[in-house]
Parts: sequence; structure tokens; C-alpha cells
Amino acid sequence: MRDVFVTGVGMTVFGKHSDRSLRNLGYEACLNALKDAGVKPREVEAGYCGNALAAALQGETGVGQNAFWEVGISGIPVVNMENACASGSTALREGWLAITGGHYDMVIVAGIEKTVMPKGTPLNVGTAELETKLGDIFPGFFACIAQKHMEKYGTTREQMAKVSVKNHYNGSLNPYAQFQKLLTVEEVLNSPMIADPINLYSCCPNSDGAAAVILCSEKYARKTNGRSIRIVASVLTSGIYDSHRDFSGFEIEQRAAKKAYEMASLGPKDVNVVEVHDAFTICEILHYEGLGLCPLGEGGRLIDEGETELTGRVPVNPSGGLLAKGHPVGASGVAQIVELVWQLRGEAGKRQVKNPRVAVAQIMGGSKDTDTKGCTVHILVKD
Amino acid sequence: MSDVSKGEIIISRTYPTIGLDLETVVQPGLFNYPLANGEKAALLANRCRSCGRTFFPKRSLCPECFVDGEMEEVKLDTRGIIYSTTVVTVPSPAGIKPPYAYGYVDLPANNVRVFALFAGADPRTFVPGQEVDLVVEPIMVNKQGQKVIGYKFRKVL
Ligand SMILES: [Zn+2]
Repeated sequence: MRDVFVTGVGMTVFGKHSDRSLRNLGYEACLNALKDAGVKPREVEAGYCGNALAAALQGETGVGQNAFWEVGISGIPVVNMENACASGSTALREGWLAITGGHYDMVIVAGIEKTVMPKGTPLNVGTAELETKLGDIFPGFFACIAQKHMEKYGTTREQMAKVSVKNHYNGSLNPYAQFQKLLTVEEVLNSPMIADPINLYSCCPNSDGAAAVILCSEKYARKTNGRSIRIVASVLTSGIYDSHRDFSGFEIEQRAAKKAYEMASLGPKDVNVVEVHDAFTICEILHYEGLGLCPLGEGGRLIDEGETELTGRVPVNPSGGLLAKGHPVGASGVAQIVELVWQLRGEAGKRQVKNPRVAVAQIMGGSKDTDTKGCTVHILVKD
Repeated sequence: MSDVSKGEIIISRTYPTIGLDLETVVQPGLFNYPLANGEKAALLANRCRSCGRTFFPKRSLCPECFVDGEMEEVKLDTRGIIYSTTVVTVPSPAGIKPPYAYGYVDLPANNVRVFALFAGADPRTFVPGQEVDLVVEPIMVNKQGQKVIGYKFRKVL
């Protein structure tokens, strides 16, 4: 396997872009990534684009070809990937596979999405799933998970609220974040209830936005901007759909994390900065445990002790996470990599974590038979 | 008329003047409906004849045994124990009016856990560990004005 590097990154501000098309958002992110890498469109040998909902919400398919064309990338193999919230990170993994396998030396990976809908419209869990037909909504599923974590480990509503407070603070330092507003624990706890114990400020918003990265082999990493970051692990898992699984943790994620650490020859103790899929506050607590940042059941303690704050032992979601930066579904997995590359290069501005060397990105998506359909874990290292 | 052996239920209560069924099931093959005289409502699952594992909703092949044609249809026990619950306080995209409760119910007799709505006047009274039993009843009215028949679990009094 050949080493793979992220050499250029770019994204749009996340939020409401009702007047902009998918391809226009994709154009901005891809152009920023190409400029950052110092790479010309004709040097790119393949393109991978994550998008989850364009076919359903905008009636658009082939989002990748449309956006890449806008920045002058055409003629090359282009693949569109749908893997729910993990669409963008799955596209990243396809790009990584192509380079590590020796097929290409330079590829572009984008995640592009528009999910902003009329106020109060929750996203479906997938209209064809039985659970959805019976009234299941994402916050409700995670409410059931939160209930089991509270029951088994004593996790509290206050601890969950602190995740939202932390991520909104981080988001207020990130010009790309949808929300620039600080929240208090009381404001989170008193926000309108959606599905007990998940209330409004426990949920990430619907968002529009795009993110892109340029990946390359080692030979090209030396030629480009000299600020390349190595990808030392890329793992994608799918669910086992065991309806008897313990809801207080995600087996699919624990399995992905174990593989990723093995691939990287690193362990959780080596990690300096993390971006996780905090679609709901309880998720971030579960991901602390799933990624081994603390033992099972101690996620609540981790947030209480401030270990995952910007100045803590292992800062999590310095970007503001999905909760504050926003969650344009198929773009989020790529945006996590953009943030971590900025962090590792020391280019993250006011939210810069102190001298990180090892970064982890985790995201998962889809829902089926009490399980999740896909989970990716990527590990990045600054050489 | 229903042909449960094929895993499908056909509702044929047509309203003659406009040709629209008055009701529909949320998904064919989930439970026996309409009921024959004296028949009790039950969820319909597939069980693997080789290893006994039971699947609801049905799946075509047991992943453990991997033998085609080994699935048999079984009626699930109607008694269960709640594993987890929530109360939704926003309108559901499916069209169910809030507040409504749902969660996951373990059916110990079949060793299976099912997703289910909860029935009853107060949705806030369901907790893990509670004993519940099955009811088949309308869960909402769809955009065509049809009653959608689904399944729920209610508290055992
Ligand atoms: Zn079997």
C-alpha cells in the first residue's frame, strides 16, 4: 500500500444558501481546495463526490460531474457516492483506495449537500424503512439510545447539554460555522423538546454547504504546497443489524476504530484532536467511548472534566462539530478532514488546538434494524 | 382477502363510488389483518427451520445457516417487555400527531426485539422493563384520507 496525502482543502461556509445551487457550492469548495494544493484541474486524474439527498430533495443526480465541471475538471472517471451521513467520508475512502492501490497519483474528493427545508421539518430516517412509516425520526432513535446510556452509566441531561455548549463555543470561533452563538447549559436544557431527552439544542441543524480535498501520492506531495498531511488509516464498516445489540454503544464504530488504530499502528492515547459525528449531543459522548478516548461509560465524565474542550487533553470537534458548524449531510465527512488538516497544519485560527500531530475523524450514517448502515474512521498524521 | 403464506395482505374494502380503499396497512405482511372470526392479531415473522432464529420484519435467508427455503412463517408472541422508549413532541413526517411514544420491545418467547409505537392515552407513561401486549389499530390518516392500520404495544393492566 502506498502512502496517501491530503495536499489541498477547501470548504464553503455552512448554513443556509437558499439562493445557491449544489454545483455552485461545490464549485467554491473545489476551487478553494485546488488553489490550496496549488494544483491545476488537468492534473486531477479522478473525482469522487459524496451526496446523500440531492436525488430526493433537489431532483438532481450526478452532482459530482456538475461541480467538478464548474472548476474545469472533466473527462476523468467521476463517481458519485451515497452512504447517508457517511457519503462524503466514503468518497474520501474511495479516493484513498485509488491512490494507495497505485491507480492514480492525484484525485479530488468533494462532499456537496443542501438540506435546508421549511422550519421544523425533520429529516427522514429513509421513507422506505418500516421504522419511518411507523413514525420514527432520527432524534427519537437517538433518544432511545440516550435513555439506555443514562440507565446503564448514569449519564445525565446536563452532561449531554455540555456537549452542545462546548461545540457552540468552538463554532463561535469558526468563521465557516452555521451558528456563531454561545449557549448555556440552561438554554440547552430549556430548549423545546423534540423526542425526550433530545431537545432542540441537542440536535444539529439542517444545512447547506460543500467541502473538498485534493489527495495525492507521496511523489506529488513533495511537489505541491509542502503542507501535505498523511492519511495513515481509512476504514469503512457496515452494520451487523443485531436487533439485540446493547444500545449504549456502537459496535460498528468500535470495530472501525480498532481497525483504524491497527492500520495506523497508533492507539487512542496518541490522538491529539478529533472530529466526530455529533448529530445529537448523546452521539458525541458515545463516540468518545467508541474511539477509545475513555473507557465505556465514562463519556459523561470526559465532558464534565473538560478533557475534550479546545484546551483539554484531547479536543473534540474544534470546528463546532455538526451541532454548531452544521450538517450538510454528504459534505460533513469531507469537512471534518478539512478542519483536521487546518488543525494539523496550525492554520485553524482562533480555535487552533496546541501542536496536534495525530487527528481522528469519525462519522456514521443511515439507520436499519436498530443499527447504523455505515461508519468511517480516518486517522491523519502530520509528519 | 389475505394470503399470509406469500407474506402479503390484500385489503379489499373498496369504497365503490370513488374506488378508494378506506384503509390500508402500513406495510404488507407485518401482521394478520383483517382478522378472521375469533382470530387474534399477531406480528408475522420468519423463523429459520435449521437454527430457530426469528426475524421481524421477515428476511429471506438466515445469515447463519445460509440455506435457501428454510424460512417458515410464525406468529410472534403478543407479550413483550419494553427495552427503550421515547416520546416525540414534534409532528412526524409520516403523519402521526404528537405527542406519541415509540421504542423497542423485547419478545422473550421468540427472542426477538421489535420497533413499535405505543398505544394509550398518555404517551409519557412508558418505561423500560414494563410489560406490554400487541394491538393492531389505526395509527394515522394518510394524505388520501385512508386509515393506516399499524401495530402498537399497550400496557398490560
Ligand atoms: Zn438459521
